[in-house]
Amino acid sequence: MSVKSTYFEDIEVDKIRETPAITVTETHVSLYLGLTREPSASAAGVPAALPLCMSIGLGWRVKEPPLAVLAFVGLDWQIVKDVRVGDTIHGRSRILSKRPMRDGGFVVDERSLIDQHGDVVQQGKFTFLVAKRKEVPA
Amino acid sequence: MSEQRRYFHEIPVGEEYESPGRTVTESDLVIFSGLTGDYNVLHTDAEFMKQSIFGERIAHGLLCLAIQSGLFNRAATEYATLGLAGLRWKFKAPVKIGDTIRLRAKVAAKKDLDKPDRGLVTIERTIVNQRDEVVQQGETDLIVEKRR
Repeated sequence: MSVKSTYFEDIEVDKIRETPAITVTETHVSLYLGLTREPSASAAGVPAALPLCMSIGLGWRVKEPPLAVLAFVGLDWQIVKDVRVGDTIHGRSRILSKRPMRDGGFVVDERSLIDQHGDVVQQGKFTFLVAKRKEVPA
Repeated sequence: MSEQRRYFHEIPVGEEYESPGRTVTESDLVIFSGLTGDYNVLHTDAEFMKQSIFGERIAHGLLCLAIQSGLFNRAATEYATLGLAGLRWKFKAPVKIGDTIRLRAKVAAKKDLDKPDRGLVTIERTIVNQRDEVVQQGETDLIVEKRR
């Protein structure tokens, strides 16, 4: 069984991908708070880490096959603006760099989340270890 | 009510916290996939993952990051937090279904911000599993209100 993926060799540096959008609802917030037991939602009502968590799923909704991620290595993330219930966010992603290793390679993905006004609400960099074509993801 | 929250000046640098444990369940993974739309095979395909180096499904990195945020609030007296400014994070080892994670945290630094009613509190955070292995580690910058 093969899983369709974008492997390390196929990744184009600097290519920009825009995801479809999603409206952040009261339901997302309730499920998130129940899952994490985080009592202190921000004044805006949407916990700051929720849009970050949703950004990965948004990345799956582009037409290109997802990265063949072997491991999520790290992230560096800034919160720029509060997200409120009812806001509609989408993602923009650009591969900043790729560095081959013996097994797979490191890929730095610069991401931002943008609201319905066109304002960046959160942004940062994700580092992934991505499989080379001959390897099986994970 | 607000008296139980700690303001910027009431949080000493160097203070340490340890949270209760939290077992990460299959339900957590399923809910998180549904909530976020992250259906990566790593988290959702048990048969595929049997063939992987992990041998089974692993939790989403961001699921455990989100869980630790809740654990922090169970470990420390609630801060008068206005928001999260940013974070720097490393995923060091996988968390598997049934693993029990806990958070160790320490107030690393504090600094004033341009607005006089708030300051930035940097928290060092380490998530360990039931074998005391570090699975995630990083720092978060919290914006905390100053008492007027």
